[in-house]
Amino acid sequence: MKFTTLLPLSLISFTLLAIPTYSQAETPVENPTGLSIMQAVDQRDDGEDLIQKIDQKLIDKRGGVRERHMIAFRKDYGADSKSISYFLKPANILDTALLTYDYDGVARDDDQWLYLPALKKVRRISSSDRGDYFMGTDFTFEDIKQTPELEDYNWTLLGSEIIDNHDCWKISATPKTEDLQKNLGYTKTISYIRKDILIAVRIDYWDRKAQHLKTLIVDKVEAIDGIWSVRHMVMKNIQSQHITELSFSEQQYNSNLSDRLFSERMLKMGYRAN
Amino acid sequence: MSSIFQRILAHPKTVLLLLFLLTALAIGQIRHLTMETDLDAMLPKQSDAYINTKVLEERFGSTDMVIIGLMNNSPSGIYNAATLNLVQELTDWLSTEPLFRTLALNDLLSLATIKDIQGSEDGMSVLPFLNDFLDIDANNSEAVTQAIEHLKTRMHDFGIYEDVIASADGHGTLFIVRPQPNARHTYAAIYDLLQTKVTSLEAEHPEVQFFIAGRPVIEGVFGQYMPQEMKRMQPLVMGVLILLLFLSFRTPRGVGLPMLVVLMAEIWTLGTMAALKAPMYTITTMLPILILAIGIADAVHFLSRERLLAHYQAYAHRKERITEVMHELWKPMLLTSVTTGAGFLSMMASELPPIRDFGLFATLGIAYALLITMLLLPSALILLPEKSSHAERKPLFSGYVQWLGNTVLNYPKRITILFALLIMVAFIGVVKLQVNASLVEQFKPGDPLRAADTFLNAHFSGTTTLDIMIDTGRENGLLEPVFLQHLAQLQQQLEQQPMVGDTASIAEFLSTMNQALHNDDPAWRKVPDNSELAAQYLLLYSFSGAPDDFETFITGDYQQAHLRINLKTDATNTVQAIIANIDTALQNYFPAEQGFKVAWAGTGFTVSRLADMIINGQIASLIVSVIAIFLLCWWIFGRVSMAGIAMIPVALAVTVNYGMMGNFGIPLDIATALTGAMAMGIGVDFAIHYLHRYHELKASGKDYPSCVRETNSTVGHAILFNSFVVVGGFLVLLSAALYPQMKLGALIAATMVICYLATCYLFPVLLRLQKH
Repeated sequence: MKFTTLLPLSLISFTLLAIPTYSQAETPVENPTGLSIMQAVDQRDDGEDLIQKIDQKLIDKRGGVRERHMIAFRKDYGADSKSISYFLKPANILDTALLTYDYDGVARDDDQWLYLPALKKVRRISSSDRGDYFMGTDFTFEDIKQTPELEDYNWTLLGSEIIDNHDCWKISATPKTEDLQKNLGYTKTISYIRKDILIAVRIDYWDRKAQHLKTLIVDKVEAIDGIWSVRHMVMKNIQSQHITELSFSEQQYNSNLSDRLFSERMLKMGYRAN
Repeated sequence: MSSIFQRILAHPKTVLLLLFLLTALAIGQIRHLTMETDLDAMLPKQSDAYINTKVLEERFGSTDMVIIGLMNNSPSGIYNAATLNLVQELTDWLSTEPLFRTLALNDLLSLATIKDIQGSEDGMSVLPFLNDFLDIDANNSEAVTQAIEHLKTRMHDFGIYEDVIASADGHGTLFIVRPQPNARHTYAAIYDLLQTKVTSLEAEHPEVQFFIAGRPVIEGVFGQYMPQEMKRMQPLVMGVLILLLFLSFRTPRGVGLPMLVVLMAEIWTLGTMAALKAPMYTITTMLPILILAIGIADAVHFLSRERLLAHYQAYAHRKERITEVMHELWKPMLLTSVTTGAGFLSMMASELPPIRDFGLFATLGIAYALLITMLLLPSALILLPEKSSHAERKPLFSGYVQWLGNTVLNYPKRITILFALLIMVAFIGVVKLQVNASLVEQFKPGDPLRAADTFLNAHFSGTTTLDIMIDTGRENGLLEPVFLQHLAQLQQQLEQQPMVGDTASIAEFLSTMNQALHNDDPAWRKVPDNSELAAQYLLLYSFSGAPDDFETFITGDYQQAHLRINLKTDATNTVQAIIANIDTALQNYFPAEQGFKVAWAGTGFTVSRLADMIINGQIASLIVSVIAIFLLCWWIFGRVSMAGIAMIPVALAVTVNYGMMGNFGIPLDIATALTGAMAMGIGVDFAIHYLHRYHELKASGKDYPSCVRETNSTVGHAILFNSFVVVGGFLVLLSAALYPQMKLGALIAATMVICYLATCYLFPVLLRLQKH
């Protein structure tokens, strides 16, 4: 008897938990505009902190694969955030680690430190431009952000489209100035944002020659601890045929990470010391 | 045979209609003709240079870059605000121009894109060299001056880009940009676009000068020149032929009919090439001229003979007369076409597709000309109204050929001595003969492209690339300290070679990073001493650019490395010397028994292999043509000694040809390599005609002097006309925009003159010796 009553209860509690998430997401604003949707995407709950394993696959046009595994820790400090990543594989870069202080807005450059175990030294790395490639992947620093700097683009809601059986907003973004286009390397992007969970599941990028440059496909999302998380995505450069695949696993949100974790000392300690 | 001739004469209209239909068909095909300007396509597909270059492109990306040089000769050189802003402006323009691929840093290198890697006490910065300059307030002149001074110092201290992007003297800087892949057809447009752009920039900034170079633009301009040149030369050659025909026949049909024959032969040949999908190479663009100049001989023979018979009124009926002409001439015309064809077909002994195609289609053109002569002329002559006055005009140069007959009889010793001297001088030249497959030197010295190339080579690291690919045979093999040290040592050794402007490899970047991460201490400018450190530096290096940048020098599995060498010339002997000097060191550093595989590639290697194949093909085709022509002559004359004598004028002319090349410093290149077999094939016809007639006369019981006189006054006339046509036709090539064609034209013209002289002056002297 007990069991039979428990089961429906747990189902109900799950549904109860889930409903608010959906209903919040369904209507980001009355009469949505491109910008208002993007603001909602920006404000989507992504946890206060996050631990996850990242598997990076770089695939060249011949099909040659370069793979790296790392574990990454992130913690938000208001609009700013700090993160630390340790490389786990391949063996010859084990314990190489990167610490980043990511500041909101464009006024202040991000800070970055790198630890090379073979050198046994921490080195401060000058920050990169937003349009620079991130870690030699097909993503630029701008691409890997949760959302781009909203005020730098003109956002236009183009309509709705079904992507993989999910109703999506189709939103185009154009950098506001010529300088921004140059910095970012794009003249236009078109994002498809799932209406239910406010995650971009596809983004197409056009380069400064107005030629199709890249396509990002987010093909696996899951709710973890109630937070919708990307588990797998692929960025393909149409022109160079280079592909970057990112897989995320073992995600843990809100585990109350200590501030001490994001320090030069911890950078040197390596992951096993945690 | 005669039934065929009868049939032709019975249906002249049908024959003509058929010929015109075939011509129309060929014209329809011609628009499908394609131009092939890729230097690598000159190589046979199985050649290592061809294969390696494809592997290089596939593995590390193409090294064919467009190069734009900016020079400022004012005292501050390029290091002033106006010029640096101009650099930024042009870089921006290039990066948004759709004809270029600008995805990665290595796709567009300029002072405005390259990054400075600088170490300090606690860190390392990787920032664009122009960063400081662009960041500061442009109105603060002191700060601007300071930033520019700093830029200049860093460019020198960092070293990697000195002479590669900015010249050491501070007066010039380069923009190196990649065309879109697989877009060879846009190369000419790239050159035009850049020309227009830099011309307008030069107008705005009178203090700077631009130079455009690099293999894509060279090949693009070639592609542009080729059809232009064909169109330009065609009327010139036709003009020469019309003039000569008019001087010979002075009748509309005497000019019109032979022209119609050779134009048809030309159209058929080009139509066949298009139908067989054979592309036009630089040298095959000369085929039309060749077919016009050589193909006309048969028609001229035919018409001369017909007119002669008409003059003597030997046959009552026109139809009988024409049948007689066909009867008399088909055999000698066929024979001379076969010997000429043998000369051209011997080019098939070469491995190089352009030379093979040239030989094949020239032979085909000659065959077409013979066929059309035998079909078109009789049919047309039957249909055209007969004009008795035409038969009476005396040919030109009759006085000269008669004088010639006596002169050779009077001065045998002088003639012998002159030819002996000629041969001696020729032998001296043959020893000095060189081979050169340079792409740049196919342009005349004054050509803007060649001038730009020469200029940029004088100021920068060099516009020609030579590449080495090293496969370590194992994953992570290139991280090993011994490998990296050897790579660095090889680079050092290479940079001591003459004309090597710069080398680049992953070892260089790892050394730079090692230094930067050790507080910029120059003592640490060396490759990392353990493979973990190398791997960690490479990780860091991969952060600094696009994924493609990483793959310019190494593969993702760290198994294969690419060493790029910049050469200041693509002249074959220099490139071959470098390869020969380095190859042993290369094998020693990376021995095959330890699992290494090394391979040369790139433009330099292509040029070097091309030169080898030109030489080998040359020797092979000469041997083949000598044997083939000798055997043909033996068959024609039935005696070995006659065949031997028949070979003398051509052998002499060909020797003199190579002698001239040696003496005047004209190297064997892909075009001049054709001259030997070509001169052999055309020249031997003179000898055959001459000997044939001489022996006919001899057999009829005439003595030596009258045989010589009569041979010279009859056949001597035809040979003279033949020489005029070939010499005149090929001299038109002197006006060619492309250097190889110009040289080939001059050489063939000169060789034919020698051949003529040897036939008409030396032959009689030799034949007298035979008599005793």
